[in-house]
Amino acid sequence: MLYYLIKRIGVAAITVVIAVSLLYGMIHAVPGDPLSIVLGPRATPEMKAALNERLGLDKPFVVQLGRFFINVIQGDLGTDVFSERPVSEIFFGQLPYTAGLVLLAIGWSGLLGIPLGCYSAVRRDTLIDKLTGVFSVGTITIPSFVVALYALLVFAVWLRWLPAIGAGKEGDLWDQFIHLILPSFAVGLGWVGYLARLVRASMLEVLGENHIRTARAFGLGERKIILTYALRIAVLPAVALLGVGIGNMLSGAVFAEIVFARPGVGKLIYDSVITRNYPVVMGSVIMTTIIFVFSTTVADLVSAWLDPRIRENL
Amino acid sequence: MSKFKKEAPKKKISRRQFIQISAASTALMVGQFALPGASWSVDGNILRIRNYSDILTLDPAHVKSKNEDIINECIQNKLISYKPGDEWEWQPMAAEYMKQLTPTKIEFKIKPGIMFSNGFGEMTAEDVKYSFERIADPETKSAYAGDWSLLETVEIKDKYTGVIVLKKPFAPIWMTSLPGISGVILSKKAMESVDGNFTTNPPTCSGPYIFKEWKPKQVTIIARNPEWKGPKPDFDEVHFYPIDDEKTAEIGFEAGDLDFTRISVSSYEIFKSKSSSDSTVVNKPSLYYSWLGINKDNPVMKDVRIRKAIQKATDIDSILEAAYFGQAEPATGIIPPGLIGHRPKAINPPKPDPEGAKKLLAEAGFPSGIDVTLDCLNKSTIVTQAQVIQASLAEAGIRVKINIHESGQFWVLGSEKEMKDKVKDIQLITNRFSSQPDPHWYAMWHVTEQVGVWNWERFSDKEFDRMYKEAAIETDPAKRDMMYQKMQDLMEESGCYRFITHESAPTIYRNTIIPAMTPEGVPLVRYFKKA
Repeated sequence: MLYYLIKRIGVAAITVVIAVSLLYGMIHAVPGDPLSIVLGPRATPEMKAALNERLGLDKPFVVQLGRFFINVIQGDLGTDVFSERPVSEIFFGQLPYTAGLVLLAIGWSGLLGIPLGCYSAVRRDTLIDKLTGVFSVGTITIPSFVVALYALLVFAVWLRWLPAIGAGKEGDLWDQFIHLILPSFAVGLGWVGYLARLVRASMLEVLGENHIRTARAFGLGERKIILTYALRIAVLPAVALLGVGIGNMLSGAVFAEIVFARPGVGKLIYDSVITRNYPVVMGSVIMTTIIFVFSTTVADLVSAWLDPRIRENL
Repeated sequence: MSKFKKEAPKKKISRRQFIQISAASTALMVGQFALPGASWSVDGNILRIRNYSDILTLDPAHVKSKNEDIINECIQNKLISYKPGDEWEWQPMAAEYMKQLTPTKIEFKIKPGIMFSNGFGEMTAEDVKYSFERIADPETKSAYAGDWSLLETVEIKDKYTGVIVLKKPFAPIWMTSLPGISGVILSKKAMESVDGNFTTNPPTCSGPYIFKEWKPKQVTIIARNPEWKGPKPDFDEVHFYPIDDEKTAEIGFEAGDLDFTRISVSSYEIFKSKSSSDSTVVNKPSLYYSWLGINKDNPVMKDVRIRKAIQKATDIDSILEAAYFGQAEPATGIIPPGLIGHRPKAINPPKPDPEGAKKLLAEAGFPSGIDVTLDCLNKSTIVTQAQVIQASLAEAGIRVKINIHESGQFWVLGSEKEMKDKVKDIQLITNRFSSQPDPHWYAMWHVTEQVGVWNWERFSDKEFDRMYKEAAIETDPAKRDMMYQKMQDLMEESGCYRFITHESAPTIYRNTIIPAMTPEGVPLVRYFKKA
């Protein structure tokens, strides 16, 4: 397990370096003059020259990239061009909002999707199974922004049960939770369908395996067989998917943060790209890449922990 | 021992109990939320306003958007401010009086007793001197240095009185430098305590509100200033929410989360048709100007007959109907109504003249029409404008290919520094600028000096350049008016411009408040009242 852990961390580090280098190149390849965008039309050539030097844009690309990695290793993600605040402070100020959104979306979609898939597999070919199938495919195909807009119209505008914008009062957990309901519903709904279909397929496969037949031969109750022996294996692909899903939801959070006017990492990166605030873009991108790689690594390790066969194959 | 050992019996929840618990929880939740007409609005002592972007800095020398000026106007003071209403006028703010001594000298006296918070003492003429000269100082690297470029000095006569001395007369001073962001008075003592710089945490405030808190991307909160000696503001706090998407702001307003917000032009009719006693919708003329630019240095466009054919063939009425839902008026030039220099009508009427355009094309040697390109920004309104232009020019045999650009790419298309000789490849371009409420700032981008910078039509006219300089120092409003009108005639006669519109600024507010706005609908929050 230790060897596996070291190997996974090594691969993760290489992935981060390659991904960030590619992103760095792509961001710099975007056409447009960042200095004009940052400083506005009334900027003088002297002001532009000073900012160019401050951002290091006058240096060759490789030098800029090398400096960026050296600074990151030293814990310096750079400084915001506009507010002159450290990027790390800005990023970690926004991260809890996105993390809360993603975790709640994953949480409720997992809590609903996994039992739904499991129940559907156990009641295979019944009306419930068919209805679940229609529901799952429906939630997968409806775009999240459509869900967001209709949820806003129904629950915020017509019924006025839930707030439409913002993240709630600081220090008031209940208020913050209330402000999370609609965004997490919009971000997580598609995942209910994915998880239900995945768990159903996996469950059907597991229920036909030898160890389940053996358990039945031992006379164990059906509930125990399903919950303790079948679901534990059947849920593995869902765990792996959720690891990737965190990354997917981080990008999906951008629309939720815009539509619901919430603070968050997605909105931070979006705004920074539009305003060519390179230090914030790069600092945020490297941190989200690390989070993504970390979550997939954790998902792999959880899979290995849940399934002894994965551990044995290491 | 068997692996499948018998487990100890556990207390289980029966199906009936589960249903009961679920029903009770649901009832509790619904009871919590389903209060009749409940909304997530806070109590009436908090005013909630939408800003279109988050603040980046509140330092008047370096602010990036109008939003930061809106907040500064509440927490700081200027000598004069814009007067709420439908006419562009000014009124005293911190000044007890303002007196024009000579064309280059303006005397002011500050009202005694305006205190800076955090113990930085009373506002004095010394603070005015520091604030204006700081922005003018090249060392400050302020983007607003131009507002005070003609400032010689601020002479201090006594504790409250001073004289603004200019190198030359500067007409825009009354409507831009003084009531605009460059007119904010900071505390010299407070600024020295922070080495002359701050961003989102002002060291002191002097307005009816003081800065309380900034939560990035979430909200900026200002609170009533206990040391304020003037009329007490009606609200304990004002919350500014940064919402860049207008549709999100509209939903936020409808859900009861906002009290005042700009709305999209496309939603104006919808909100207006909903007869509601809860809210009021107003549509104000904006300070933007939008036009179709024609590059006279392009090899095809260098013939003025082709440029004029394009002017004639463009259907402005259809653009306004399609892109602005009929909620904007045609522009007669670059200067909007209500400002000095506004022309009552343009040389080319809004209606197209395809036959006249065809005739001009034939004279120019293109009887069977020409192929041209039109560059535009990837915003829906602008793209719609471009599509209508494409359709109307086609009526005259001008076949248009539209190139849509992302903002970063678009805003360098005419820059010689970035694009070198490619700037001459531009043929047609739709563009949109905003400005401060004085014609000087409208004309500044179209002088010869700006060719290859922001003058992408590469329009160059010696008479225009001369009048631009003369109008800036002309203090007679009637003479200035004539000069700017003539300058716009020159622009249009060159064939380089087809003026489209000044757009409009629809705004909605709750009837529980009485807002105060500039003629273009920008909120003057310190004057907001409870209804």
